[in-house]
Amino acid sequence: MSEHNAIEVLNLTKKFGVLTAVDNVSFNVAEGEFFGFLGPNGAGKTTLIRMLTTLLRPTSGKAVVSCCDVSEKPKKVREKIGVVPQAMTSDLDLTGYENMDIYGRFYSIPKKERVEKIRYLLDMVGLANRENDLVATYSGGMRRRLEIARVLVHKPEILFLDEPTIGLDPQSRRVVWEFLETFGEKDSLTIFLSTHYMEEAESLCDRVAIIDNGKIIALDSPDKLKAEIPGNDIISLTFADTAKFEAVQNAITNIPFVHKVNIDGSTMRVYVDNGAHNLPSLIDSVKDSGGVVSSVGIHQQSLEDVFIHYTGKSIREEEAKKINFFIGAGVPQKFGR
Amino acid sequence: MTKLLAVIERDIKKFRRNPVVVVMSLVMPILYLIILGNSFQGKLKALPIAVVNQDSGAYSARVIENLRAVETGAKTFTILQIKDQQSAVDGVRNDIYKAALIIPPDFTKRLVLNKQPEAGLFIDNTDNISAETIRNAVGGAIGAVRQEYVSIREKPDGIYLRNVDLYRMVDYYQSLVPGVVIMAIFLGTMTAGVFNLVMDRFLGANESYLLTPLSKSEIVSGLVISGLSITTVIATVVLTVSMLITGIPLSIGIEQSFSIFIIIVLTTLALLSMMFVLLGRANHPRIVGIFSGFLNVIFFFPSGAMYPVESFPGWLKAFAKINPEAYAVHALKSVLFKGAGLQVISGDIIFLIVFTNIMMLTAIKTFKRTL
Repeated sequence: MSEHNAIEVLNLTKKFGVLTAVDNVSFNVAEGEFFGFLGPNGAGKTTLIRMLTTLLRPTSGKAVVSCCDVSEKPKKVREKIGVVPQAMTSDLDLTGYENMDIYGRFYSIPKKERVEKIRYLLDMVGLANRENDLVATYSGGMRRRLEIARVLVHKPEILFLDEPTIGLDPQSRRVVWEFLETFGEKDSLTIFLSTHYMEEAESLCDRVAIIDNGKIIALDSPDKLKAEIPGNDIISLTFADTAKFEAVQNAITNIPFVHKVNIDGSTMRVYVDNGAHNLPSLIDSVKDSGGVVSSVGIHQQSLEDVFIHYTGKSIREEEAKKINFFIGAGVPQKFGR
Repeated sequence: MTKLLAVIERDIKKFRRNPVVVVMSLVMPILYLIILGNSFQGKLKALPIAVVNQDSGAYSARVIENLRAVETGAKTFTILQIKDQQSAVDGVRNDIYKAALIIPPDFTKRLVLNKQPEAGLFIDNTDNISAETIRNAVGGAIGAVRQEYVSIREKPDGIYLRNVDLYRMVDYYQSLVPGVVIMAIFLGTMTAGVFNLVMDRFLGANESYLLTPLSKSEIVSGLVISGLSITTVIATVVLTVSMLITGIPLSIGIEQSFSIFIIIVLTTLALLSMMFVLLGRANHPRIVGIFSGFLNVIFFFPSGAMYPVESFPGWLKAFAKINPEAYAVHALKSVLFKGAGLQVISGDIIFLIVFTNIMMLTAIKTFKRTL
């Protein structure tokens, strides 16, 4: 293990029967890095996190988290990491404080240190005045904040979050993001976050891996990922009439900075490099070929476009999940893999 | 150790925060006692019997007198005298009477002439237990017709059975108490212990649990110990209340009280650890529900709480040999009714200890530390 890597993954694979949920994945996460895992539902994000956090045994391959191999020394790994699973896992019958306290005791944190840390964290996540209320009375956003605070009690080196903002309203989501940024910087935590929200990955992560069908199909910083796809800005030109459409299209397609032109009704979508800079000359060419533009829009490519570019547009048909004939669905399958 | 205590505290706190469950675990076994004691009576009572007396002789009147004596004494049946033979038999068919006794016109005459008198008894033989009781009681009443006139003086050459009760009298109601305590323990082990594990798994809360450094044995023994403390309290309360209801004297010695405590603790441990083995991997509370109904019947009835183990067929006797509830019932009965000390029940105690150890080790071994 290199000195500066918090997570090293090599050829990691997980198969459930015929289904390969994670397929020969390799990557490293540096210490202190905020690493994002982006992918559609059923891409294998949860399975990967569960393998890295010792909840599932890999079918093959190797994963070293913090100090140790997850298959060889799972207990050591568990002591070094904090995990916020996708499902809400705080106990409804316990108060916010009790949830944190009992969790802290699972890590054998001495009482004095525990109480101080819990008070500090509850204050940080804005739950100090609700600490003695049962979690059953909390809203979804409060519960999630409590759960994030809870996994920080034992000062983990690496924080794993599996779609932490799923089902939260925009305000709560923003609050969660703020914590993650604050905690990440303050304690120089390594954070591993899975999400299918582009904006989340874009605003938080140093690097993002795009995963689809169990495979990593792209891995880089959000900016570089965006730069990599051709025509990184889109200029939409809406025309007063479509009379000169063909002439305009022919003219601008030949301009070097234009990569692609799509037509949608009376609107032309032009994929260009450096849109803000090249817009005036694009308009000039349109005018020269006789086109009359009624409105102009410029759209910088987001990670969403990157995501669609790499994973394709269609919603994936998820494979039929194997359900035990005798037991039925059992655990809600949403959390099943 | 802090970790183990945290597991226990979490479980007990969660249980306490459900007062409805706490009250139900206490009240239900006591209701069991009351319902069992009154539905599954030791002796049957008030079975309706139609009697049609077509004879006007002395002996038929004598038979009816004897039946009346049973009616007022043991109260096995209530007698309704009717005239019409056909309606009496129809009444049995239509479930109005459990039986109809027809005394023919020549009953007294044949009896006097020693010509084998006969009376007809039409019984609803689909109701096995009441049919048997009626046959015996009516047979007795008719058979006794002549003996009443025989001198009451004992025959010198007869053999007499002298009934000697070894222990303080135990009525049927009281004899149910050990079974009810075992049932309370069973219920406790179903609502605590492994059930909470299954519930956590169902709700997905076990995921964060499994992500902590807790070991398999800390998780399993933590839940068993919290289940033990909850169930011991429930069983002790149920035992005390049942003793009060049925009139078993509460004044028992220190050794007996200690023995009872040991029996309750060991039975709870045996059942809790067994449930962990059977349900440790279940992921839906409904599975626990189905299992608890089933297990209750297959462990409770062959435990000797209701019928003596000795009268079971061989295969069931063999099952009772490995049924922890059978040992628990035997031990509790010995202490409660016979005032036995630890020595007498040492066999039961050793079995329960060995059983618990095997189950605990299996439970920890088979517990899945991953999802």
